[in-house]
Amino acid sequence: MSGQGQDAKFFTRGKIQEFRAELQAAETKDKKFTKRKIVLKKIVANITMGNDMSALFTDVVQCLGTPLLEIKKMVYLFLVYYGRAKAEQIHLVIPSFLQDCNDRNPLIRALAIRTMSYIPIPVVIDSLTDQLRHHLKDRDAYVRKTAAICVAKIYAADPRKAERHGFVELLRDLMVDSNATVVANAVAALSEIGDRPDGVIFKLNLTVANKLLTALGESSEWGQIYILDSLMRYVPESHADAELMGERVVQQLQHANSAVVLTTIKLLLYLMNYMDNRTLIDYICKKMGPPLVTMLSSGPEVQYVALRNILLIIQRRPAVLKNDVKVFFCKYNDPVYVKLAKLEIMYRLASEENVKEVLAELEEYASEVDIDFVRKSVRSIGRLAIKVEATADACIKSLLSLIDTKVTYVVQEAIIVTKDIFRRYPGKYEGIIPTLCENLDALDEPEAKAAMIWIIGQFANRIDNADELMDDLTYNFLEESTEVQLALVTAAVKLFIFKSSSDSVKALVHKVLKWTTEEVDNPDLRDRGFMYWRLLAINPGVAGEIVLAEKPPITTDADRMDRGALDQLLLHTGTLGSIYHKNPETFIRNAAGKALTDTPALNPHSRQVLVPIQRVQPPTGPVVVAGPGPIEPSASNKPPPPLPDEATSPGNLLDLDGEDGEDSVHGGDDDETEEDSKARPAASAAADPYASLDSAFGGYAVDGSRPAGTRRADEDPLF
Amino acid sequence: MPIDGLIVLDSTVTPVVQTAFRRFSPAYPLLHIDAYSAAAASARRVQDIDPVIYVPSFDPDEPSACCHIQHNGLTLLSPVSRDTDPLYAFAFLRTFVDILHEYFGDVTAPALKDHFDVVYQLLEETLDSGGHPLTTSPNALRDIVIPPSLLTKILSVAGVSGLSGPSTHGMGAFASPIPWRKAGVRYNSNEIYFDISETLKATVSKSGVVVDSTVLGKIDANSKLSGTPDLLLTLTNAQAMSNPSFHPCIRLNRFSQSKVLSFVPPDGHFTLMEYRYSPASAQAPPPTGTPLTAIAQNQSQVQVPFTLKAAMAVSEHGGTFDVSIASRLSARAIEDFVMELYLGEGATGASCTVGGGAEWGYIPARQVCPIGSRCYGI
Repeated sequence: MSGQGQDAKFFTRGKIQEFRAELQAAETKDKKFTKRKIVLKKIVANITMGNDMSALFTDVVQCLGTPLLEIKKMVYLFLVYYGRAKAEQIHLVIPSFLQDCNDRNPLIRALAIRTMSYIPIPVVIDSLTDQLRHHLKDRDAYVRKTAAICVAKIYAADPRKAERHGFVELLRDLMVDSNATVVANAVAALSEIGDRPDGVIFKLNLTVANKLLTALGESSEWGQIYILDSLMRYVPESHADAELMGERVVQQLQHANSAVVLTTIKLLLYLMNYMDNRTLIDYICKKMGPPLVTMLSSGPEVQYVALRNILLIIQRRPAVLKNDVKVFFCKYNDPVYVKLAKLEIMYRLASEENVKEVLAELEEYASEVDIDFVRKSVRSIGRLAIKVEATADACIKSLLSLIDTKVTYVVQEAIIVTKDIFRRYPGKYEGIIPTLCENLDALDEPEAKAAMIWIIGQFANRIDNADELMDDLTYNFLEESTEVQLALVTAAVKLFIFKSSSDSVKALVHKVLKWTTEEVDNPDLRDRGFMYWRLLAINPGVAGEIVLAEKPPITTDADRMDRGALDQLLLHTGTLGSIYHKNPETFIRNAAGKALTDTPALNPHSRQVLVPIQRVQPPTGPVVVAGPGPIEPSASNKPPPPLPDEATSPGNLLDLDGEDGEDSVHGGDDDETEEDSKARPAASAAADPYASLDSAFGGYAVDGSRPAGTRRADEDPLF
Repeated sequence: MPIDGLIVLDSTVTPVVQTAFRRFSPAYPLLHIDAYSAAAASARRVQDIDPVIYVPSFDPDEPSACCHIQHNGLTLLSPVSRDTDPLYAFAFLRTFVDILHEYFGDVTAPALKDHFDVVYQLLEETLDSGGHPLTTSPNALRDIVIPPSLLTKILSVAGVSGLSGPSTHGMGAFASPIPWRKAGVRYNSNEIYFDISETLKATVSKSGVVVDSTVLGKIDANSKLSGTPDLLLTLTNAQAMSNPSFHPCIRLNRFSQSKVLSFVPPDGHFTLMEYRYSPASAQAPPPTGTPLTAIAQNQSQVQVPFTLKAAMAVSEHGGTFDVSIASRLSARAIEDFVMELYLGEGATGASCTVGGGAEWGYIPARQVCPIGSRCYGI
């Protein structure tokens, strides 16, 4: 490592021939191998710059015999880059590899097997498999932990070979190694194998899970992440198991590494599904809040991930950050993505107790400079009014003052949300309609325009000059966007129903309907035009009742995620899935879906909304290698265990045979059936289109074959 | 849940160092660099780039995401194609920056190029090509990758030459039973230093009322102790620290039982713990019947040590502001006082008159107007 700090000069494009000549020259008279070292550095620098150095393969490989660790490392780096491309020459290196595999120095042993595992060529993998067995039992921990990861690599290159050589069992033994780093790497390798669609299924039983928990304290942060993540593969069979583990894991929330903290939270959220002790659940929820808040004082990228996850967590466990809305108040220098995420959380956390502060804060944001942020703030004020009734008055007041600013995008947003407020509180705030109408000319966005038109149509009886306004608005009817046109048609019809006596209104509605049916190409619009026309033609009185029928009240519950989907998504807390709020198998190929596994300990509510996993089984079927201890039965073959709830037990006895048909007849008596069917995604109905015919066939359809993945869905609604 | 690799870009978005991306096509890292530079071009400020960029691929089935952080003008990218925890990627990137910092001091593109062979060794040791972080504790790393500046020192101490490498200790790397501390450390004088720094973050409303405030504290340590020291640090008022997060060396059980910090420290610089300060009054059980929100408000509110009054007037082509600040502290002076005013986007300059012997300036790149004085108010 001579010439420290001067290595930048190596970053000059070099010619292959020159390097070759230099390497050959270095073979003689090379004291302490300095010449070779310099040439190799130049070569590595050139690799970095993206120059193809593969032509030097044979020359570089010859340096492997040099008894200097630094040179070995560079040659191995070279091999990692070009080994795969030079399959026909790789046999030159094998003897050196084998020699290094048995070197006295553990660093070199580890380096050799690691490099070999990076080159997935059969020759290399073959010689590695011969060696690896010894390395997995090496007396040096560094070699063992490297060997553990190498197993995953061999498995990726040739799964069946790795299984044949019993590497998976050897890895399993490493899970109880005395060195925590080795344990963590063994777990990491097993997880990687288990995540493969054709991999050995990796599950943990209580004994091993407890061993891993013990290793947790001594592991590095990455090791802790692997171990905590792998504990998600443990399925608690009783409340007590889940609770005990939760108690042991909860202190990891105090770790300095935010990834450890978030993985811990993921594990706790998972375990909580299997807990019964209310005090403990509350305690854990309370413990989870502060570390999440702490993440908000880290870098913006950590904040972003934390905020996206908080959004999910508080929907499922509102207790976690109940009293902490203030920590989500935006700072002036927050990046825009952080501000928007915070805004959403502020809205979710708003309740009667804190709504005043939240509203004051939102009003502040509405006068910011960033347009996106301002729009979302204004919209949040409106949503707040809908969510918290006590604050509706204050929200309307602040919306009105925002409309007064005459800033176009503020006014438009305000009008869009006001429309929803009218629907939420009918007959309460119509007094502000005149103020809204004053700003008619400022509206240039379809959504705002449509909202305003809806208001005019809906309250045409209260707006004296509604017909004039509509006349103005329909002036450019044919140029408007579809959204606005639809709103205009409906509003015109409503206006006519309110003021059927006025000739001008009659003319207006006739004009609009004629345009819609004769000059518009959009089938939706045309159909709606025809529908209204016939309605009015047949019986205007009935038409009025239909068009102005009472509307179902709106709530903000609709934007909350479905509980079952939420449970499933929370199994991915912290991962990409939680950032996009999507299950990873929907956007990552080969990603294994996750679902809560049903055991007697699973709380009844989670069970009801359980969304089954849609894992596509590979045609050959997975090879199951037992972990230490008893093998867990595969979930899809197991009938659901009885609910702890007494009320449902009669139904249960029947479902053990999976007698779908009979039970759905009984189902009506069950307390939970109604709630259940509401929560259940349409999937189960779709999976069994003959469900209603079951009684006719005497349960015949149930015994037929069906995709394994959906079976659980059929069994579940029986509760 | 491994990451795919790591790319270090300099300020011109040219790669300085990157891992091999062996599992992927050669285009894979380029796609990510492109995605990053495209996102950087469309964002107004570097800070506004989404931290997790979605990267579409040639193969529509295999999209990926790109996590990135900024450090000292460098950008570190970490492509992620499996359902990995992005925090995990971020934590690794930060750790890697810390390691580089530990090895080279200032982490800049020239520094990385100067020591690229060491950087590569570090990458090899910290991240295997499958994307699993390996050894990231600086203590253990120093056994495997010899830091440039320490080279001569280590050679002279251990008498290492050639191949025999670090294993001549007779123990080898990772012989230490404690992952964060290397074995066989020896110092002539044994000492350990602690720095406690606390940061107050507060949001103050227009009328001067503190809306929200928190104090975040951090204990940094520099340990120069021989052997395997087992330390016990007793805090007189441990109650004031809420929500602590610890370096892995601290025995969590011990802390939760008796509020003492018991640990075997790593060698060298490390952050012992971080915490949130909560005033003693909050610890007293609240009187029964107090509404929940009132308790929540009391819990972390800390008085801001100065009062701030601001008046603004905005006109068409500019504005005026008048800010007055007064210290609330009666006994002590506030030292090294700096106030930064963010003038908002589009600001091109400012002109201020400041009292009290303070100085002011304007930083065009950030539209910020810092005003500072060595010592303010008594």
